[in-house]
Amino acid sequence: MVFLFIVIPLLVAAFLPLIGKFSKKLIPDVLTNAALAFLLFNSILLVKPVFNQGSVVQNVNWFGEKINLQIALDGFNLFMLFTISLVSLGISLFSIDYLEHYGYKANFYALLLVMIAGMNGLVLVPDLFSIYLFMEVAAVASYALVAFGLGSDELEASFKYLMLSVVASAFVLLSITIIFGLTGSLNFQAVAQALQDLNARYVVGVCVAFFIMGFGLKAALVPFHAWLPDAHPSAPAPISAMLSGLLIKVSGIYALFRIVYSVIGMTPVLSQVLMAMGTISLVVAAFLALGQKDIKRMLAYSSISQVGYIVLGLALGTPLGIAGGLFHLFNHAVAKGLLFLNSGSIQHITGTRNLDELGGLGKLVPITAGTNLVGALSITGVPPLAGFWSKLIIIIALIQAKQFGYALVAILASILTLWYYLLIQRKAFFGKTNPKWLHLKEAPFWMSAANVILALICILVGIFFTPVFKTWISPAAEALAQGIQHVLMWGI
Amino acid sequence: MVIQTLLLCGLIIFSGLAIIFKDLLKAALSLAVASLCLGIIFFRLGAPYAGVFEISVVAGLITVLFILTIALTKKEREIKEANLTRIAFPLFFILFLIIDGLVMKSLLQKVPALPSEPEAGIFGEVLWKQRTFDLVAQIGVILAGVLAVLALFRKKEDEKDE
Repeated sequence: MVFLFIVIPLLVAAFLPLIGKFSKKLIPDVLTNAALAFLLFNSILLVKPVFNQGSVVQNVNWFGEKINLQIALDGFNLFMLFTISLVSLGISLFSIDYLEHYGYKANFYALLLVMIAGMNGLVLVPDLFSIYLFMEVAAVASYALVAFGLGSDELEASFKYLMLSVVASAFVLLSITIIFGLTGSLNFQAVAQALQDLNARYVVGVCVAFFIMGFGLKAALVPFHAWLPDAHPSAPAPISAMLSGLLIKVSGIYALFRIVYSVIGMTPVLSQVLMAMGTISLVVAAFLALGQKDIKRMLAYSSISQVGYIVLGLALGTPLGIAGGLFHLFNHAVAKGLLFLNSGSIQHITGTRNLDELGGLGKLVPITAGTNLVGALSITGVPPLAGFWSKLIIIIALIQAKQFGYALVAILASILTLWYYLLIQRKAFFGKTNPKWLHLKEAPFWMSAANVILALICILVGIFFTPVFKTWISPAAEALAQGIQHVLMWGI
Repeated sequence: MVIQTLLLCGLIIFSGLAIIFKDLLKAALSLAVASLCLGIIFFRLGAPYAGVFEISVVAGLITVLFILTIALTKKEREIKEANLTRIAFPLFFILFLIIDGLVMKSLLQKVPALPSEPEAGIFGEVLWKQRTFDLVAQIGVILAGVLAVLALFRKKEDEKDE
């Protein structure tokens, strides 16, 4: 049942602090991972009905009486649910060993689950105001998780993130208010229909500008990216992976493109504005990543750059472009999740994230080094890994749409990406081993296992690219490409 | 119209004062007055439920919590604010008001009247039958807030125990 994507994480999160009083480690570990595994299984079970019917609208009954909890599931949000469940399961497996030195596992897992419930809710609701509310659920949990270590860096980063995120939320709320004033409704379908009938181009234009500012800040698109390079590296590694891998995509990319495609309707001008923003992000952030010495900071800038690719593909508006953007969203979520977890392993093993202090770790910690290489090559776009296909599709879509300039920039930025990822490889894993690292041991079992699972997904999705594309990406891209018509068919 | 304008001016002035005041107590009280103005505006615009919540929760409950917290905090050392921030905020505020006035003046003429009656139906019906998802999300926000307090104030408790 679709509603379980919101209820299960919230229920488990509510009981975890109590359970944590009796069992500090085992039960919180098992319960959280079991809940996330169930959500992943549930998302796989839903493929068939969505594939056959196009979209599934579900009503929730409370003791036989119908209450107003309607969920519309289509290819796009099912794809997002699957991505969220898969990456979060990898992250929670990693947390089993990683959180040993933080303690307070039950509280950590509870906040993580609330964040996941918020993201799932945001993805599932067909209502503008509910999107805002679930965005806040995920955001409030993420502020606390960024500051979880309680160090001054973490607290400062969390405060900066909170301040900028509140500005983003204010813009989103303002835009929703104007749309409600215009149409008298908040439901996707009613708003889409009312905006079609109304002739209020300028007002809608202002709303879209506010949405771009708000969701652009959440997605950390340049020039709204200032908070991300501070917040993501300061957080504990699993949270960096959650934020970079999932939250910026759900709160930023999903919300923006769902509203733009399914409620307001994509226009050529809007497409050009978003493509320009995506391109600026992918180039500027790639250059900024080059100068970083802290692995996590470099990865954070890389996230901004890769979000640029996703926006470029999605904003292009052709079915192939949208498919490429969504596929890159999935690949980046998995590979960046892996790389942030991996940086957590490196910090756990050596106690530092500074690239200048590392060197020659490849022979000493082969699993960490190997999985890092797979993640880096996948994001860079080296065949046959998953990231290669998504970047290739985006570039082919740009060439098909005769956007040769954008295609050229996308290719050149990919070379920059390869450059800074090779820098990580050379400085951390290859070269002469620093004598002080000679006693190092590989990361604990669950940390290595999570890294290996995510690395295997990067490899397997690359090899079995066709079935993955047909099952998950094509239905999602179709749902978006149909635009407003798709939402009008829901019959809510 | 005159009362409405006065209330709107009061809302803007007291919101601005809440940011400008360096004394936290004065800032909290300014915020309370601002939200009182907003609550009255809600009543006058035909949104009594929003008005009740604004006045009771934001102007009342939250102000009490702010004042309690301020009373429990010790003054340790002065944190000097950069001069730039003190000048920048009022400047941006005035600039925003001018742009807002110009944009909204032209925009509002183009906004058609709201098609449906605001807050149609009784309160319970609106909350339980029309906005049920929002209730679920609010439970999520409250849960996140409680868990955040539990997680972020944990070390202090440990030190006390020791």
